[in-house]
Amino acid sequence: MIRRMFRVLKEDAGLLRAQLLGIVVGAVLQGAGFALLVPILKALFNGDTGRAWVWTVGLVAVVVVYGAVQFMSQLAGYRAAVGLSRGLFARLGDHIATLPLGWFSGDQVGYVGQLTSKGVIDVMGVPAHLLRPLMTAVITPSTVVALMFIFDWRLALVAVAAMPVMALIYRWAAGLVQAAEERTSRAGAVAASKVVEFSQSQAVLRAFGRHVEGHQSLDDALVEQRNAGRALLVRAVPGLISFALAVQLTFTLLIVVGVNRTLDGNLAAPELIALLVLAVRFVEPLALAADLGGAVKIARNSLHRMDELLATSPLPEGGQVAPAVGDIGRVELDEVVFGYGEGHDAPVLNDVSITVPPRSMIALVGESGSGKTTITRLIARFWDVDAGAVRVSGVDVRDFTAEALMTQLAMVFQDTYLFGGSIADNLRLARPDATDSDLARAAELARLDEVIERLPGGWETDVGEGGFSLSGGERQRVAIARALLKPAPIVLLDEATAALDPENEAAVQNAIDSLRQDRTVIVIAHRLSTVATADQIVVLANGGVAEVGSHQELLALGGRYASFWHETSRAAGWRLAPQD
Amino acid sequence: MRSPISQLLRPVRGSLILAAVFQTLAAIAGLVPFVAVAEIAAELLDGGAVDRDRVWNITWVAAGALAVRFALMFAAGGITHFADNNFQLHVRRRLVDRLSRVPLGWFTDKTGGHVKKAVADDVVAMHHLVGHALNDLVGAIVTPLAALGYMLWVDWRFTLVVLIPVIVGFILYSRLMSGYGEKMEAYNAALAQVNTGSVEFVQGIAVVKTFGQAGRAHARFIDSANRFVDYFWAWAKGLLRVAAASDVALAPLTGLLVVSAAGTLFVARDWIDAVDLVPFFLVGLAIAAPVLTLGHAVSEMQVSSQAAARVAVLLESPILPLPQQPRLPDGQRVEYQGVSFSYDGVHEALSEVDLALEPGTVTALVGPSGSGKSTIAKLLCRLWDPTGGSVTLGGVDLRDIDPQELYRHVGFVFQDVQLLGMSVRENIRLGRPDATDAEVQAVAEAAQIHHRITELPDGYDSVIGITALLSGGEAQRVSIARALLADTPIVVLDEATAFADPESEAAIQDALSSLVAGRTLLVVAHRLWTVVGADQIAVIDRGRVVELGRHTGLLAEGGLYRRLWDAQEWRTRAGGGENGEFVLGPERGQVSK
Repeated sequence: MIRRMFRVLKEDAGLLRAQLLGIVVGAVLQGAGFALLVPILKALFNGDTGRAWVWTVGLVAVVVVYGAVQFMSQLAGYRAAVGLSRGLFARLGDHIATLPLGWFSGDQVGYVGQLTSKGVIDVMGVPAHLLRPLMTAVITPSTVVALMFIFDWRLALVAVAAMPVMALIYRWAAGLVQAAEERTSRAGAVAASKVVEFSQSQAVLRAFGRHVEGHQSLDDALVEQRNAGRALLVRAVPGLISFALAVQLTFTLLIVVGVNRTLDGNLAAPELIALLVLAVRFVEPLALAADLGGAVKIARNSLHRMDELLATSPLPEGGQVAPAVGDIGRVELDEVVFGYGEGHDAPVLNDVSITVPPRSMIALVGESGSGKTTITRLIARFWDVDAGAVRVSGVDVRDFTAEALMTQLAMVFQDTYLFGGSIADNLRLARPDATDSDLARAAELARLDEVIERLPGGWETDVGEGGFSLSGGERQRVAIARALLKPAPIVLLDEATAALDPENEAAVQNAIDSLRQDRTVIVIAHRLSTVATADQIVVLANGGVAEVGSHQELLALGGRYASFWHETSRAAGWRLAPQD
Repeated sequence: MRSPISQLLRPVRGSLILAAVFQTLAAIAGLVPFVAVAEIAAELLDGGAVDRDRVWNITWVAAGALAVRFALMFAAGGITHFADNNFQLHVRRRLVDRLSRVPLGWFTDKTGGHVKKAVADDVVAMHHLVGHALNDLVGAIVTPLAALGYMLWVDWRFTLVVLIPVIVGFILYSRLMSGYGEKMEAYNAALAQVNTGSVEFVQGIAVVKTFGQAGRAHARFIDSANRFVDYFWAWAKGLLRVAAASDVALAPLTGLLVVSAAGTLFVARDWIDAVDLVPFFLVGLAIAAPVLTLGHAVSEMQVSSQAAARVAVLLESPILPLPQQPRLPDGQRVEYQGVSFSYDGVHEALSEVDLALEPGTVTALVGPSGSGKSTIAKLLCRLWDPTGGSVTLGGVDLRDIDPQELYRHVGFVFQDVQLLGMSVRENIRLGRPDATDAEVQAVAEAAQIHHRITELPDGYDSVIGITALLSGGEAQRVSIARALLADTPIVVLDEATAFADPESEAAIQDALSSLVAGRTLLVVAHRLWTVVGADQIAVIDRGRVVELGRHTGLLAEGGLYRRLWDAQEWRTRAGGGENGEFVLGPERGQVSK
């Protein structure tokens, strides 16, 4: 763990080294100071106060040096903590910015958010608060034991023998807890998901008369969680207190052995008493150390996960900055094979070739899971293909610099993220030099104008962190306006959720009408109007392209598209309550 | 904040007190070995003949006391941990019970996360409060007090001398802690900024990258991180000297120095017997240590109390009142009379809504988004109670009808499908637990889902989410089958349901058509053309019914309905403009009534 921290610290490594040295010196001094009580006590028992004074003066010197070293090492420790956290924040930030977009799936977001805030604080606490008590807990007793040998080697031997035993017990106890924790965390996860299901299904459960009593599986899960917790206790508690027991046994043993030796005349009484007093100093730090175990474990886990994150490699970038002018806007998928890797057997796309000429519009059609979204994400290089190539504006996406690729693309996907700030700020992200009238035009086409009109702050309304003060539909309209504003030759658009709300449909419709005049538009389409008017329709099925052609061509073909079309047009004419 | 927590902890109060008594005895027993060593010293250094038996007896008492202390600590820890184990189950059951009694409207998109956090994380976080806090506190207070009492008994003057560094240390420590609350708040605020910065950074990374501004969110994140680190450093730096001084004053080494120096002085002056110094060397050096360790547990304590407070709040969520003397509705006529409603007590979502649903008729609610049409529908399902006026079914206020009775009359299908983690058959049978397999299959067929179910690995016995992995549209049809089986005379429906899954729109629509046939229907409509034939269309604007009538009449009126209709005209154009076969005609006659 320390080695990892040194690696992060780089130029501040000296600080950590200084702190470690300070801790070691301080702990040894402390042990030595404790050992001084033996001669002092002996002198006092023998009535030799003059001698006691001499040793006490020596103790003064030890305390003064100890205090100074303590201060310096604590100072170095805080500075190391500051350097460490700055280093971690910067390295994590830099690295995350280089990771492929495809890496940022649902779970990762929360995980990384935790790691880059609380995780760093955990690690920072190691030099700031943990290192000193932890190292002292080992070094001071060791020093005390070593010095005990000077006074009585047999008693010292008892103490020495106890140390590895305690270390073993400590490890054994931690192992016990870990094994039992797996069952509790599993039971906890099951119970939690049952509770969430229970709360999400309240409407149904109540409508059909099922209350808590009626939902037995939930209560079963809660009881199992309790039982798992109880099993953890039964298994782990003996482990946890066995360490405390070992510490106490050691002290008891020292008393018994010492008394025995004194009564047998092998050890002078003043020496025995002094050594027993010293033994207290040996035992105390050990008992305190056990309490710190949890915090150390947390910090170590955080550091480990950071290492894992930093080991995730970014997609290699090419050096190409600008495509050839004649190719701008062309998109090609050339015999593309792609799968999501382990756990997913069949590739999502198998030998898919699609060519989209500049300034044309294609609609991707197919059942969910047929790979429509995957195609748009491969174009944006969320991931790299397993075989074949994706070319944007004539250039393999792997040959572009990441930035150059992004200048070619504008995207409207589902679940749009907005930054805390005004709506105007969020739009200007797409084109920082956009004029107010540019903004107004994009807003109008995206039907964002009516949203802005309704909001109290108009254009300057703060959308809140993540944009969550707006509704999903409103956020999507901001995303559409942003795509309209960005001067990119190729637009990727997913209209899936847009189908829910007529106002959003209108926004998508307007956007497509406007965009297709001078850009390449690739749309994951669900609405008949979008599909039917596309220059080219690509029907995806079973990991491949099933049909390609214009609306009329595909209808004439009488295949998948034709049946999809008939189904969907039937749906579009559906009425709940027909006119008489 | 204190009292709701202690209220919450009431079931474990007895266990906690018992454990605290054990812990107190354990702390006192912990002192016995030290006393024993001092007694051995007195016996051995007395100068006279050593009474070997007495020395051995004292030794065994010390060993026995350690064993007793150990047993007591074991008992104290065991009691609180097992109490906590049962307490967690108790709290979770109470939470679940509460969840089954709050108004349905309480459950929104956000509450899922809250509930999970409370039941899973918060209850676990309370462990420190129940399992450790009191024991730690008792140990940290009784141990030094017992030691202090012992020392005072041995020699009170010397005790006062020994206390000098402790007092100095605590004065410094309290200086350290002055303004700690505000500082901690600022620290937490800075930390929250880092959190926000990092979440924004990670969540927004796709956006910033696509707009070529990866540096931007990155910069914000690093900024907030640096601000936090700066704050931490400024705080730590300012306190470093005082902290170090306080540390040194309370260090055992300093205690040793004071006892040695004062002891030598006292012995030299004959104020104290050298043997009487032994207790001070034993327990007087680190008398403050347990109190300081307690300081480390403060943050854990805070986290734990905050969790307990959140749980307490959740347990106090207002519940939907149940009728004392339930009445049975007389007939199926639904009437809204002067209904007002407010979600937040400030803004009215509905005001003075009057509307009647005659049995067997179709009523459509239309209007701009946010006008209140969904709210009207939800009141009939009693997701909320109106804040003014009343909704009646068969002449009886919904509040006077037993909920189970109400849901025998009113069924609903909304966009968010709710299937439970059990078999498909059981999910459908929720609608009517005594339905036969044949009846289940019949409604599945009517809901256009039977065929898909038979394709599942275990057919009707496939378990949702495990062997039955259904698409949104398929899940929707299962829920429609359930509503069909429940066979309520009144159905509340969100029309958007029909368009929720682009892959299977037509099948969902067929399913819905069979559901609504012959029932009283209240539909929240977004696409006006789906409801042109409704018996009455209520146009809602800003929480009021502004127009009421049939399609043709409303069109002729030229009001809001006309404007809404015209605004949706483009769809017909766009869809039907380019080819002849796309017709929005009423000839798809498999529809309601």
